[in-house]
Amino acid sequence: MNKITKLSLKQLLFANFWGFLVPVIVGVAASLAGIGLLGVSGWFISAAGLATAMGVGFAFNYLTPGAIVRFMAILRTAGRYGEQVTAHNHLLDLLKILRLWVWDQRVAKDPANLHEQTRGDLLQRLVNDLDQIILWPLVVFLPWIYALISYMVVSILAYVISPELLLPMVVAAALHILIVPYVCGRFATHEVHVGQVLGVHRRSRFVSLFSALVTLTIRGHWKDYAKRLGQLDERQRKTEIRIQNAVSLGRLLAYCVTISLIASCLYLISHIDSDTGHWVLLEGIQGTWVVGFVLSIFAVNELALPLVQSFVAQGKSQVGLRRLNQLHQEPSVTPLPSDSLKQPLKQISLNNWRGFHASNGMGNTALDLSIKTGETLWIRGGSGSGKSTLLASIAGDCLSSGQAMINGEECNLYGNSDYQNHISYLPQSPYIFQQSIAANLRLGKPNVTHEELWAVLTAVSLADWVESLPDKLGTLLSSQGRNLSGGQRKRLALARLLLRQAPVLLLDEPFDGLDKATIKTVCHALQNEYTPKILVLVSHIDSEIGEDARRIEL
Amino acid sequence: MAKNKAAKKSLKSGRLKTPETMFLDDLSKQQSFKYRLAQGFGVLFAVSLMLQAWAFANVFSDMALHQSFSLSFLLLGLFALLLRALANYSRERICTSASRDIRYGLRGKLVSILTQLGPARLRIEEDAALSTRVYEQVDALDDFFSRYKPQVFMVGLIPCVILSFVVPISWIAFFIFILTAPLVILFMILVGHKAAEANRRQFGVLGMLSNQFMDLSQGLSELKRLNQTHAARKRLSHSSEEYQRTTMGVLYLAFLSTATLELFASLAIALIALYLGLGLLEILPWQTGSSPVTLAQGIFLLLLAPEFYLPLRQLGNDYHAKQKAEAAATDLLEILNAASPEAATAQSNALSNTPEKENAVNKEAFLSLRDLSWLESGRHRLAPISADIFTGERVWLSGESGVGKSSLLHLLLGFEEAYQGQFFINGEPFSELDLPKWRSKLAWLPQTPEWVSGSIRRNLLLGIETPSEAELEAALIKSQCDVFIKTLPNGLDTSLTELGSGLSGGQMQRLSIARALLSHANVWLLDEPCSGLDTETADAVLETLNQVSKGKTLLIVSHDTHPITWADKHWALTKEGLHE
Repeated sequence: MNKITKLSLKQLLFANFWGFLVPVIVGVAASLAGIGLLGVSGWFISAAGLATAMGVGFAFNYLTPGAIVRFMAILRTAGRYGEQVTAHNHLLDLLKILRLWVWDQRVAKDPANLHEQTRGDLLQRLVNDLDQIILWPLVVFLPWIYALISYMVVSILAYVISPELLLPMVVAAALHILIVPYVCGRFATHEVHVGQVLGVHRRSRFVSLFSALVTLTIRGHWKDYAKRLGQLDERQRKTEIRIQNAVSLGRLLAYCVTISLIASCLYLISHIDSDTGHWVLLEGIQGTWVVGFVLSIFAVNELALPLVQSFVAQGKSQVGLRRLNQLHQEPSVTPLPSDSLKQPLKQISLNNWRGFHASNGMGNTALDLSIKTGETLWIRGGSGSGKSTLLASIAGDCLSSGQAMINGEECNLYGNSDYQNHISYLPQSPYIFQQSIAANLRLGKPNVTHEELWAVLTAVSLADWVESLPDKLGTLLSSQGRNLSGGQRKRLALARLLLRQAPVLLLDEPFDGLDKATIKTVCHALQNEYTPKILVLVSHIDSEIGEDARRIEL
Repeated sequence: MAKNKAAKKSLKSGRLKTPETMFLDDLSKQQSFKYRLAQGFGVLFAVSLMLQAWAFANVFSDMALHQSFSLSFLLLGLFALLLRALANYSRERICTSASRDIRYGLRGKLVSILTQLGPARLRIEEDAALSTRVYEQVDALDDFFSRYKPQVFMVGLIPCVILSFVVPISWIAFFIFILTAPLVILFMILVGHKAAEANRRQFGVLGMLSNQFMDLSQGLSELKRLNQTHAARKRLSHSSEEYQRTTMGVLYLAFLSTATLELFASLAIALIALYLGLGLLEILPWQTGSSPVTLAQGIFLLLLAPEFYLPLRQLGNDYHAKQKAEAAATDLLEILNAASPEAATAQSNALSNTPEKENAVNKEAFLSLRDLSWLESGRHRLAPISADIFTGERVWLSGESGVGKSSLLHLLLGFEEAYQGQFFINGEPFSELDLPKWRSKLAWLPQTPEWVSGSIRRNLLLGIETPSEAELEAALIKSQCDVFIKTLPNGLDTSLTELGSGLSGGQMQRLSIARALLSHANVWLLDEPCSGLDTETADAVLETLNQVSKGKTLLIVSHDTHPITWADKHWALTKEGLHE
């Protein structure tokens, strides 16, 4: 699957075409064997009964039909097994492809909006959507193909018995395979969509209300708000009822189609004998074949019944896909790699520069700033003065206005990965991955040696702590570094950046939550073995680095 | 068959019932009427099945032997087929409705439990994760209640009915059925048991895989900055492949149970067909020259053969529903259990709350605590404390984390009833207090300010009478919110969302202060309002608090790192008790 394309159900089939062909073929064989087993058995028994009744039982060749019946039985078993195994293999393939697709879309997203996607439980929902979508070929497409091909094969049998039977077969097939599932599916897609929108709404209201639970309770208004939550739940329930009724009704209709099919087929190939009141088969039609035929219809009915339900699954997959496609990113036009970024970065000048948040436009007041190799800059300011936003915009992580010059050439900083290769940025709350300490550090420098790891841990004064852990560098960190204190998390992220040895280092409140001795150690490292060419620091804490730094007050 | 079922049952009850199964059983008992009704339709289904087979067998036999058929038999057969469809339809409707009633009832109960738990709910999970439990996890029970549960009955019913009809017709067919059925079940148990275990393990691995995906996605900005997105992609791809490899290993085994069923179902049909065919040809080795069954009987048996195994196959398909439900039940039980032990201790508490120490109450004090403690599962959440707060006093409560500072505030908010000892408001025991009236006097400022999504204005006026603009203005000035609100593009109508507002932590706390002022509450409870702020901001916020809270009765929890210098009293809470 190409990175650029949007997703569609068709693509799910062709994503791994040959991988999917195997379960289709095996499954079709198994379904046909199932029908054949019943049809041939029916014919065999009635033919045997007839032969005996006519006194020619001894001449009846029972070996061939017997062998066919046994063969069908084994084919059906092996086919089902093979289908399940290969189809699931394909499903896991899809899971991988879709995950990577989502990953690519998110990588292509620009940094300011990426942040919004990461918050909340959006990601959790994405994962659930993926799990729903990969089931589509297995629960929707395959059963549909089986029903279709079975109908075709039974139609051939119908044609052999009497060409007239073809018409009711085609009508029934159209109803069973196309119309009933389509109508139910259409209906369900709409309801599923409504249900999912409601679900998202309900969930965000839940989170919103519960986050203010105590205040609402002590103000005595909780009941009103909770009632509204209950109303949403009630609406959800109604959609659910409608979907379930559609499925049940669809199945009932499918049964009715089968009943009408049998009735009309038998009507077409027989006429009433007024003497006995019995219906007599037309000339040239073998009763034994008709028995086999009707039994096959019973078997096809079993294959057609699940289609109604599977089309509800189709609705779910489509809604899931629609949601996933909202992630889709048109490939952004990559800025022409400017030559200035190939050179070592010597100077950053910002004119009339202002960084701001995408959501509400808040940020720092515009300023001019220039910094060159060998300099250290300390940005200070009260809370809310936008110093963090300014730093993030210098890091290219946040929207900005104004002009930026790199080595004297104009350059776009926002989301520019060529530029970002030159800088290391420590945000206010850096992310620590659920991996080992070593793996987290290795993200800064993939081919790092053991000695380098310990050296950098010593530099940020984490070495003693890591040494005290039972698994040392191999210690797994829990979700979002929850078993770390804020200071440890920051220092670990800093260590990762130091390993990168980028010429520009941007630090946002690196000393928050650290004691004086630790601050001293970190400063020492930054002034000696890990000195960056350019250092920009946002901090409200005095430190050794701050002493010789150029200061800017916001 | 029956014997085998009994054996299976004893085997089941021999195994200890897990709390999950008990929980699911209890829930389904709520709807026992509907389930019984569904069983009634199940019986109707079985009857119409037999009728259909019998009618069609006669039609087919006539057709093969005489090239003609009786219309009445055909109509009877078609009618039976319709009846079967209708029975199935009703059964589905009833079972889905039962499942809905169970789920929506349970959901309502969970929400009210979480409401009662109040701040204590966060001990279970954060709100977003709780919403997943309340919605998604409850819905995960659907397949179990709407399909699996009623299907268990059908699995017992249909084969028994079929067998009872087969006995008088053919002993041999009866033996084919009765010998294969236990084998099927036995194999299902043997293979299914192993598969279920492997499945569970695999389920765990899938969870880890999703987790990895989530983790890498959440840290994507970091990876982008570090220029490591390709390495991460490779990792994702690699672990997906690895997962695929191991899962397929498990699935080869897991599907064996399906295959076993298919094999027996297919073989039984084939065996019966062959036996009947040879029998009808009168060339069975032990019965040459005569047929054991008539043609109509033979076709009757053949029609029943696939139906015999069908319910079992459906149960096999729905087996994952049970696993899914049990997994969800574990999470839901955690919420339900969080409520129940307290109810139990509350009762014992009511008994132990004999007013023997009432004489010690300080009638002058606004709030007086007497040997107030909180035991939970034998561990003190709060050591016994006795102290008084007078009206207008401002008290700083400090102590290590885990000594029960927050718990004390939660008690005062009226969210916890499982306390021991007593506390009095204006000399009146807390348990006899009119809770809504008491709460209306409170203002609550927790660590993370409580906001609903909506405009700043809506949040400020949450649950209070709309004040005059002048009053609003005054509160904003007092809390020093006016400065930054003026800089916002939409002023007071700027919306706050869960995605973050762009306001800093200090600004959010100031808004909380404004809200507390507007509510005219004269008792303020503050739980580490400054813990997320840097020292500078925290000091500024605390100074504002000092200015606005003069004359209010105030209990503020704060770490020693943020000392409340202006407090009238300092309580240090330890594991042993309270030191003033």
